[in-house]
Amino acid sequence: MSTTAASLATPTTPRGQRPRRPLVTPARIGIYAFLLTTSAFFLLPLYVMVVTSLKSPEEIRQALLFAWPASPQFGNWKEAWSSACIALACEGIQGGFWNSIRLVVPATILSVFLAALNGYALSFWRSRWGDILFGIMLLGAFVPFQVMIYPLVAWFRLGGFYNTYWAILLVHCIFGMPVLTLLFRNYYIAVPNELFKAARIDGGGFWRIFFQLMLPMATPMLIVATILQVTGIWNDYLFGLIFAGKDNYPMTVQLNNLVNTTFGERRYHIDMAATILTSLVPLAVYFFSGRWFVRGIAAGAVKG
Amino acid sequence: MTMTMNIRMKQVAAAALISFGAIGAAQAQKAEVIHWWTSGGEAAAIKEFATMYTKAGGTWVDTPIAGGGGAQARTVMANRTMGGDAPTAAQYNYGKQYEEIIKEGLLNDLDDVAKKGNWDKLLPEKIRNAVKVNGKYFAVPVNLHNENWVWFNKAVLAKAGAKEPTNMDEMFAAMDKVKAAGGVVPLALGGQGWQEGITFRGVLLATGGQDLYLKTFKDKDASTPGFRKAVETFKKLKGYVDPGSPGRDWNLATGMVIEGKAAFQMMGDWAKGEFVNAGKTAGKEYGCFMAGGPKMPYAIGGDVFVFPKQKSADSAAAQKKLAEMMISPEGQVAFNNKKGSIPIRTDVDTSKMDICAQAGVQAIKENRLLQSDNELLSPDAKGAFEDAVSKYWNSSQSADDAIKSMAVALKR
Amino acid sequence: MARSARPKRLNLALHAALLPLAITALLAYVGSVIWSIRISLSSSKLFPRNDWVGLDQFQRLFETDRWIVSLQHMGVLAVVYILGVLVLGTLMAIFIDQQVRAESWFRTIFLYPYAMSFVVTGLIWQWLFNPTLGLQNALRLMGWESFTLDWTVQPDMVLYAIGLAMVWQGSGTTMAILLAALRGVDEEQWKAARLEGVSKPRYYLSVVLPQLGPAYATAFVLLAVALVRTFDVVAVMTSGGPGDASEVPAKFIIDHLFGRNNIGLASAASVVMLVTVFTVLAPLLYWRSKVQARQNAGH
Repeated sequence: MSTTAASLATPTTPRGQRPRRPLVTPARIGIYAFLLTTSAFFLLPLYVMVVTSLKSPEEIRQALLFAWPASPQFGNWKEAWSSACIALACEGIQGGFWNSIRLVVPATILSVFLAALNGYALSFWRSRWGDILFGIMLLGAFVPFQVMIYPLVAWFRLGGFYNTYWAILLVHCIFGMPVLTLLFRNYYIAVPNELFKAARIDGGGFWRIFFQLMLPMATPMLIVATILQVTGIWNDYLFGLIFAGKDNYPMTVQLNNLVNTTFGERRYHIDMAATILTSLVPLAVYFFSGRWFVRGIAAGAVKG
Repeated sequence: MTMTMNIRMKQVAAAALISFGAIGAAQAQKAEVIHWWTSGGEAAAIKEFATMYTKAGGTWVDTPIAGGGGAQARTVMANRTMGGDAPTAAQYNYGKQYEEIIKEGLLNDLDDVAKKGNWDKLLPEKIRNAVKVNGKYFAVPVNLHNENWVWFNKAVLAKAGAKEPTNMDEMFAAMDKVKAAGGVVPLALGGQGWQEGITFRGVLLATGGQDLYLKTFKDKDASTPGFRKAVETFKKLKGYVDPGSPGRDWNLATGMVIEGKAAFQMMGDWAKGEFVNAGKTAGKEYGCFMAGGPKMPYAIGGDVFVFPKQKSADSAAAQKKLAEMMISPEGQVAFNNKKGSIPIRTDVDTSKMDICAQAGVQAIKENRLLQSDNELLSPDAKGAFEDAVSKYWNSSQSADDAIKSMAVALKR
Repeated sequence: MARSARPKRLNLALHAALLPLAITALLAYVGSVIWSIRISLSSSKLFPRNDWVGLDQFQRLFETDRWIVSLQHMGVLAVVYILGVLVLGTLMAIFIDQQVRAESWFRTIFLYPYAMSFVVTGLIWQWLFNPTLGLQNALRLMGWESFTLDWTVQPDMVLYAIGLAMVWQGSGTTMAILLAALRGVDEEQWKAARLEGVSKPRYYLSVVLPQLGPAYATAFVLLAVALVRTFDVVAVMTSGGPGDASEVPAKFIIDHLFGRNNIGLASAASVVMLVTVFTVLAPLLYWRSKVQARQNAGH
């Protein structure tokens, strides 16, 4: 990846705009036709999801997928949020929402902080042990999670906190660590060493240099890592299902349970409303963080 | 039901209430119950238990886990029990699903509850054997289900001019008529592995009865001509199923029959809970027959609850209370009426049960009970067998190849 | 950075700081891999057992139809998903790079699915592919009588349905990575090529794309990791059905770990996955680190 961490730090500006071409040449038409068709492919599911979530049960049965609802039923959203049934409990997916919030915030803070610390320790305070650990992490980024699930279940059981809030919190820190550590290490490697040396001459110790100099300096990386973790943890389903336990099921698990609770016929309008509600947080992060999100992806690509 | 029977019932009920009251007064015991009853009829049935327990002064914590015919719920249960975070009680089916948890010493036995309730007398022998391991009771049976029923919508058959069947041959004839009439799906099937498995076992019983069933699952022999015939007949059903089948939930398939969108469904008698929920009556809007015909052996299916070992004495008391309540006469009647199953007690009034349940009661009376594949196969082997059945159903695999892979699965 | 002799206090601080990393690396990663290998050599079912059965579990694994099938499906998905994403992502990146209006709009639209959970993706596409309520029926009602799109219930098409959902979700990322790389390509090359009369498509094919090697390698690695982890979307969309037509290795493993009470077999399967991933990725990672070393040397 030639996009080094240093260039991630400064927002990239798009190439200088050249004078726009005339709009109507065959080539231009072709370009826009392709882009618009592709956009339709990407937007269609979203459109169907929104429209479906606003339909009445009667309109669902008519199976006119693209039809705009006669009178949008915002009550569906309310029902999905607070009163749709998941098996016997008819409280909607709001519980799952709060569980996800309760999980995402601390898990993100903890995993990003640890990764920043790792990156700092591995790049400025080289030690043989550190290098070995870093090598393990490099490989760890590629270990299929299937290999780790059962051992982790067993160890959490030994620790007596399996199926608790702490289990799912730890799991997200464990699985987030390789990539995040790589990010921060590569970021700090690109920081000129003179800066660090000067700080040392000023008498800065290990922690002081970290908290007063290096952590604030890594703000762009902190933002990118936070975005990665927030969306990643929010969207996780499998770990939540296996490790969290019923009281802490994240929203994705609750969503799947809601969809699988069927009485007589599938209530697609409620299912879709719940689906939209589940996507709102990551979509909001995406829309409001714009370019940072894209850089997070590019950053995720520093693996290896 | 005779007079004396009714009087005795009342006495039993009164005694039960008194004992409940006594326990309930102690304190509100919290009982967390894991189960996979998430469809309408099922949810109504478990609510009966929940209400009773609450009335007796306890606190019922419901942990329903949908998905995979209970596989997901059993996963959660196994993991939590191993993790020292066991629920108070967990639903299983009769059979080997919880065998290994017993071996690990993680379940409480129910011998004292059984002694007090005289289970040795109360339970039919084969059901007793199904919940006993090494001579100790480890599960409380709550109902008797039979998975091998066929349900049909009477109006649909009348409209197509088909005779109401009492066995599978007649059913094929009726389905042909429905198919010819058009507009209605002859056979509603939820295309999930476990449902395809039920369909197959129904055909197996219809083809060779108890002998073939035991030959297959007990002797693990898939080389008989009867087995081959069953395999071929099973695949014939495919021509009557609609393309939307794969992945469909069983209760949605039942819904198709209820609404007249489909004529038949092969499903256990829990499907009746859905009919009851929709306000339908057996013999009036819908009919039923046992897949193997009227004298079919009744494969012991249904649900039990097991009670993992707990740290606190309080929860042990809650477990005893739950077990007693679940097997009590009024618990049995209330629960089973909603669930569509039949009670495991022979001393309750079954006269109010519908015609389908009566057939089951008759089977118990005549001792026509049969060990089911859940008892005869490990979860692993049963799973592998259903994989093979499901693959054959959903692909163009030849009968020969299917029989080969079924034989391998049985030997697991 | 040369290691200098450090005072004790600093060493202590450093080691304290690296403790969480050490625990995670050694226990969670190394430890669990070793333990999985150990379990795969035992006869464990629901609970871990401490016996040795050699390679029995592996032998049984490769006699299991469902496992073999799931490996084949991963191969099909590798082609459909990885190739699909690379092709679509390349096209999107190139077309966006033509100084189009509303560029950021297009970028936003192409990338938003990536922000959503695979559970959500699975649900939406399951609904679109539903033969009676989805796209097929909708278009038939609009008058296209013969339109058929029921891939999720057709055993020989279901993988393509899942592949399509995955492409929909994943193309945006690859586009973003390639776009970043495209912006780094020197524009003078196009001027030179144009003078020689090279057409634009030719120029991209023979001049630009070869320069995007590292970006492609990156995208490929990310896609390969995502492919091996494929679980949520299948579990939600088809549960591996019809039959075993959309079974994938991750789902096979999770099913056997939990539903089938067979951790020995599941561990064997996960060890197979581990070995596969590292045999595929090792050469690639090696090549990339070489390229990077060269680039860094050139700085």
